Amino acid sequence: MSKKQFFGVVGEFKTPKSLMKAAEALRDAGYTQFETYSPFPIHGMDDAMGLKHSKLGWIVLCGGFTGLSCALALQWWTSAVDYKLTISGKPFFSYQAFVPVTFECMVLFSAFCAVFGMLALNRLPKLYHPVFKHSRFHDASSHSFFLSVDVKDPLYKTLETASFLHGLGGENLEEIED
Amino acid sequence: MVERTEKLTGFLADKLPKILLLIGTIALAFCAVSFGANPRQVLFSYMTAFIFFLALTLGSLFFILIHFLTRAGWSVILRRIAETLMKNIGLMAILFLPIAFFGMHELYHWTHAEAINDVILQKKAGYLNIRFFFIRAAVFFGIWFWLARVFYKNSVAQDATGDFAHTLKLQKYATFGVFLFALTLTFSVIDWVMSMTPHWYSTMFGVYYFAISTVLSLSVITILAMILRRSGFLKNEITVEHYHDMGKLVYGFNIFWTYIAFSQYFLIWYANIPEETIWFREHFMGSWNTVAVFLVLGHFVVPFLGFMSRHVKRNLTAHFVVVCWMVFMTIVDLYWVIMPNFSPEGIQISLLDFAAFVGIGGLYFGFYFLRLRKHALFPKRDPRLEESLHFHNV
Repeated sequence: MSKKQFFGVVGEFKTPKSLMKAAEALRDAGYTQFETYSPFPIHGMDDAMGLKHSKLGWIVLCGGFTGLSCALALQWWTSAVDYKLTISGKPFFSYQAFVPVTFECMVLFSAFCAVFGMLALNRLPKLYHPVFKHSRFHDASSHSFFLSVDVKDPLYKTLETASFLHGLGGENLEEIED
Repeated sequence: MVERTEKLTGFLADKLPKILLLIGTIALAFCAVSFGANPRQVLFSYMTAFIFFLALTLGSLFFILIHFLTRAGWSVILRRIAETLMKNIGLMAILFLPIAFFGMHELYHWTHAEAINDVILQKKAGYLNIRFFFIRAAVFFGIWFWLARVFYKNSVAQDATGDFAHTLKLQKYATFGVFLFALTLTFSVIDWVMSMTPHWYSTMFGVYYFAISTVLSLSVITILAMILRRSGFLKNEITVEHYHDMGKLVYGFNIFWTYIAFSQYFLIWYANIPEETIWFREHFMGSWNTVAVFLVLGHFVVPFLGFMSRHVKRNLTAHFVVVCWMVFMTIVDLYWVIMPNFSPEGIQISLLDFAAFVGIGGLYFGFYFLRLRKHALFPKRDPRLEESLHFHNV
């Protein structure tokens, strides 16, 4: 069987601390394509895994700026160019009156970008994930902690990676099919 | 347990308060001497400085109230710095006396005898009269002083006993304390600032001042923590995580300030009723208009874009520059709110403006450091102290 049909090695850890230690050891050993699973967020895990800061903020910034300029352009076009109406004697282009709509559109576009950008960056929704094939993975939602190393990692060698995880306290190590 | 420097010592504790008190006294003496020749200028400069430092004190009181109200853990390490600012309310009450004794006539034209012929002022006389004004001022300071005393006393007492009952008591007091705070802050600023233009009214004015005071006090708490850090105090205790969160609060409340300032302007602009728009007409006159534009850019646009990134909030040098800028913009803001009553034609910066700021500021921070050195620099036996020390942003 060729390697490509495998997802990677998955191991179980008993405590959040040992999971964090294992993540740090993998990071220091040069692994990049690995993932941790826990029933609750663990503070400091991002650093332990060597994850870079999310790009989501930039996506939201672009969304917000798009919302702002679209709303301003729309109001300018409708009130000052295409269909001029005098309202309580104020100038056609009364930027003060445009602020609430501009602001709301900026927030709306930013929020959409935050939600859908988050989903896209996480590649969600996902109907299937191979990690669920691990025989004990259902415990990941209640009391156990898991770590998977992807075959795509350049350092990945089934036996060596598995024994490395075992040395870090990993139990029930299984190689999972994709 | 790790050994921590608990008490303020050295230059900040011994020499600095004396220097500040000396400078403050000299500057205030200069104001007092100039009073004979130019009472109006002295009073308005003094009032601006007074309202500024009152905002700082009340903002810190709010920080403490909200800390206990939300049972916050992360901010415990910063609490003594804020509590000591809050405790300066006694000093502010004393500094109010010159206004009460010498300032009423120059600052508030509703106190003039001819106000009786003014139809609008006649109708407001039931509220805007000198006796009721003084009673209210006494009530405001009484409530603030009492709140500050309760919160400071219990916090300091806990240093000795470590009793959790103090925390529970303050959590209880914070509930109605925050209501009292909101009402007294609103009505005090209506009395002391808004009534300088007694025909005009804005229901947003109290919230506007609240936004000013919160941004200001959060910025000053950060600056003080950084000054302590430079002198080697609380270096490992107040970490970049705490600064990051203080930065988020400054950033958030600055947007809140913008929201309130714009809403006040927007509603008045839209309705276009002369008795309301008059205030903005006066504050957009001549060079005051330049100041207003500068406020929009300097108080909102620059910090909004410049302080957005987490890297700026986590870089202590950049963070320091931003919060100092916020303090400066708060001064500009209050100057723009108060001083057009003195020089309607345009901005007129006087040496006395600086003297009043340095005078009140010197006394304020002189007494601040004198009080800070008396007790530990942080609530050392607070039950949530450990949580604060290990606080980490996700």
